[in-house]
Amino acid sequence: MNKSELPEWTDQARSLLDESAQALDATTLSRLNRSRQAALAQRVPRRRAAWLLLPAGLVGACALLLAVGVWHARVPQTAPLASPSATVVSGSTVNVVDMDLIASGDDMDLIASGDDIEMMQDLDFYAWLDAQDQDDKG
Amino acid sequence: MTHTIALTAPATWTPARVEAENTGERTLDQFLKGVERRALRMAELATNNRDEAQDLVQDAMFGFVRHYAAKPAADWAPLFYRVLDSRLNDWHRRRSVRSRWLQVWTRSDDEDDERDEIAQAPDSNDPGPLLRLAGSEAGQALNAALARLPLRQRQAFLLRVWEGFDVAATASTMRCSEGSVKTHLSRALAALRRQLEDHA
Repeated sequence: MNKSELPEWTDQARSLLDESAQALDATTLSRLNRSRQAALAQRVPRRRAAWLLLPAGLVGACALLLAVGVWHARVPQTAPLASPSATVVSGSTVNVVDMDLIASGDDMDLIASGDDIEMMQDLDFYAWLDAQDQDDKG
Repeated sequence: MTHTIALTAPATWTPARVEAENTGERTLDQFLKGVERRALRMAELATNNRDEAQDLVQDAMFGFVRHYAAKPAADWAPLFYRVLDSRLNDWHRRRSVRSRWLQVWTRSDDEDDERDEIAQAPDSNDPGPLLRLAGSEAGQALNAALARLPLRQRQAFLLRVWEGFDVAATASTMRCSEGSVKTHLSRALAALRRQLEDHA
């Protein structure tokens, strides 16, 4: 049945239906508008998310690079000081740099060994003792 | 490295593409604005309740935007009404389950399958039932008659007569055969005519 084959009175029916759709009250139209905007808004996050992925990815990559850089910078300095007692006790002089390196050494090793911690607490005494020996020899 | 990424990324979102997206959204907004009133009236005729009709239309808008917004704009109307038709069917099904016993008393219109369609065929010389009704009375009578139609007949009538879909588009929207659309429409026209004549 084509449109032209529809009974004539359906034209009037169409007009009446159009009138009823145009006569909707303001509250209903407002709610329709809100529904439409909400439906359209669900598309926006996808696009915005694509924009947000780039800076988020960059920040993440920078943070990762920084973390890896810091880690690499620390490891070579701390590795030779795995045995700080050897450096301090057997060395002829104890300078500030050595002390700093020892202090920035592997804290976990120190914490794991109770003896080392005690030795670190008496470090000033050993340094003074070594200095006295040097003076006596000199 | 960062510089390279910064230069590469906007290539996927060129100003032309952004503009196309914005234009697409405006077009979609205009489309929905153009169909929302008729969609609401359709849902209201199906549910006889404006609040429920608004909920269904909102669901249909969400479903349409989610699944079909990327389709060519020329296909939007049948696709939107397909989503709405699906929502109306779901609502009708839930309603039927909920009020099965009540529906036994209100389904008299569905029984027109048994009626003689030839005897109900309209006389082409008759000006039609609506012309005998004046102004707002005609609108109210049509509303009442449409509200009494079974869902599928009403949908076939509204899509063919009001939306102006052809039989194929109506069948696609209602997800049934073209023969079913013709049958539903024929029965809808006969039932509406009868009810409007009773009203006149």
